Amino acid sequence: MSQYAIEVDNITKSFKINYDRGKHLKDLFVRHEKSRTEVHQVLKGISFNVPVGQSLGLVGVNGCGKSTTLKMLTRILEPDSGSIKINGRVSSLLELGAGFHPDMSGRENIYINASIFGLKRAEIDKRLQDIIDFSELGEFIDNPVRTYSSGMYMRLAFSVAINVDADILLMDEVLAVGDLNFQRKCLRKLNNIKKGGATIVLVSHDTATIADFCDRAIWIKDGLAEKDGPAEEVAQAYMDYMDSLNPEEEEEKTYAKLFQDQKVPDAPEEIDPSRYNPPKTMDPSQNHFGLGDVLITGVRLMRTPASEKGNPDYVPTESLRFAPGDGMRVEYDYVRVNRKNTEYAFGVGFNAMDSSVIMGHNTKEEGTTIADIGDKGTISFTIHSLPLAKGEYMLNVSVIDDVYTPVDFYRCYLTFLVEDPTDHGIGTTWVNREWRLNGELIGPEE
Amino acid sequence: MLRKIFEIYSYREMIIELVRRDLRGRYKGAVLGFLWTFINPLMQLLVYTAVFSLFLRSDIQQYYIFLFVALVPWIFFSSSLTGGSTVILSQSNLVKKIYFPREVLPITFVTSCFINMLLTYIVIFGVLIVSGYGFSLKAMLFLPLVWIVEYLLALGMTIPFSAVTVYFQDTSHILGIVCMAWQFLTPIMYPASLVPDRLQFLYRMNPMYSIIEMNRDILYYKQIPTVSHLVPSLLVGVFFLIFGELIFVKLQKNFAMEL
Repeated sequence: MSQYAIEVDNITKSFKINYDRGKHLKDLFVRHEKSRTEVHQVLKGISFNVPVGQSLGLVGVNGCGKSTTLKMLTRILEPDSGSIKINGRVSSLLELGAGFHPDMSGRENIYINASIFGLKRAEIDKRLQDIIDFSELGEFIDNPVRTYSSGMYMRLAFSVAINVDADILLMDEVLAVGDLNFQRKCLRKLNNIKKGGATIVLVSHDTATIADFCDRAIWIKDGLAEKDGPAEEVAQAYMDYMDSLNPEEEEEKTYAKLFQDQKVPDAPEEIDPSRYNPPKTMDPSQNHFGLGDVLITGVRLMRTPASEKGNPDYVPTESLRFAPGDGMRVEYDYVRVNRKNTEYAFGVGFNAMDSSVIMGHNTKEEGTTIADIGDKGTISFTIHSLPLAKGEYMLNVSVIDDVYTPVDFYRCYLTFLVEDPTDHGIGTTWVNREWRLNGELIGPEE
Repeated sequence: MLRKIFEIYSYREMIIELVRRDLRGRYKGAVLGFLWTFINPLMQLLVYTAVFSLFLRSDIQQYYIFLFVALVPWIFFSSSLTGGSTVILSQSNLVKKIYFPREVLPITFVTSCFINMLLTYIVIFGVLIVSGYGFSLKAMLFLPLVWIVEYLLALGMTIPFSAVTVYFQDTSHILGIVCMAWQFLTPIMYPASLVPDRLQFLYRMNPMYSIIEMNRDILYYKQIPTVSHLVPSLLVGVFFLIFGELIFVKLQKNFAMEL
């Protein structure tokens, strides 16, 4: 066998963008005088070899050609010129849940989905239990897929895809499935696959994942390989480049990118409450961005237990551990570094550990205009009764200007814990609840 | 070509699973479920029987059987062609995201129609027995031969048209009209002897002619068919398979960009 799993030699690809062509037979005969056709060359000649067992990351902005490269590796697209040689069995994780039939059971869909990946029946039989175990679906596996939650659906789909043993695994941003625990489980599995000697090509916006997971990365810029080398170096170079883009023009892009590139802090499998006890001294870490004219200098979460709410003498204490129904005050200090003739607004938000947004508010949206914030000060945001269910949450704090440009924006300044031993449900919203059977109270148990 | 056949063969599990999904998924939500596969043609037959024995009385003995043994193979052919022509278009998600030999999709569609037809033959056999019309076992031994030729013909025509439709969606509508006309140019509702002699030569150029006629020989006339009549249909089928596959290979290169 060749020492290379993938050999790519000078491939090019262009797309014809036909602005007003309909896909109809008459277009064969009728020439559109005005029809605008543009040829967009996506790849202008990229070459690289991937040794067996290497994991390669492809990074670059949208439309740079990284996904096109991946599609050519999977043979969905063919290059206009150049050649691609693949040595080994390829599995591509570009589409999850391909061919799923909603009315058929999870088990039946495993067979359909796996067969599309090219597996034989005997091979599927052999992997069936692994797939079911990995998906954590248990007895639900025999229910129709349409009854699944989207999380269950994605877990099943990913389990099939990742259990297709392949010499070469091609992936496109598919790691972002399921909750954080499942994501980490997938990453562990991928690491095992990697250790097993598989060659992996991963396309992602997320430079952190690339730097963590890949041995090597190629940064594709305008259809050419801009930089090829150790993953961390390339990821860093790419991030530096993204930061250097003109903030006026690229503001939105940078903003979006920064959101994506924030690393989600690792959550332990089992939450250890002592981690939140006592409140740490806050370190204004690196994960903030913005114009920097105003800086957030300290953030505190103050707790008023539900039982003390009526007590006017109670002084809230700083804490990272809360219970549903507690009072929470988010306080943060700021200093103004540069005096500019603009308004500022303050924002507070919570995200779940999978980065989904739970809530977010800012003073501007509330209709408040702060004419002058002074050279320094403290803003506070009070939640009278915390409506969060048990779990860990991330706190975002921000200062923005009148057109919503981040001035100082922390995504995940800190994480805090909500504890509720009586809650065995799922979700992020705490509800005051009761169950009744024929009118008789049956739960929850006090 | 040989490598292609080998590759498609290695994806046989996908074909089997997709055919299974198609056949089982079709009536999954219905109370009667898979029984519909049989109820449908049976009801169709009942309607034909009622219409042709009450209103449109025909000189042909047992006209409903005369019609039905020709209609069932025709429906397989025409639904393969019209339905199969859009199969790549309708599965664009799969085609854009996953590599597999694209021929799998038309093969799956035609196979699924084919199995449906075979199941309908069970209804035909049932009717032949229950009605007391009877059948000739010796003649029926030739039926699988006719089926195979018809399958190849349907597949050979569906494969290229499924690729052409990706580029020109009108193809499927045109095929619908062509099939309707084709049905009247084939001895399905009337015996071939109605066609004037001087046109018979042209009339028999139709590759479906011998397939329908042989179905009728076997089931309606209970005769052993002249197998050599199948050869032209077989040749046309094989020609379309090879030629159609060549077209398909050429057109499929840009599927992912067109869809």
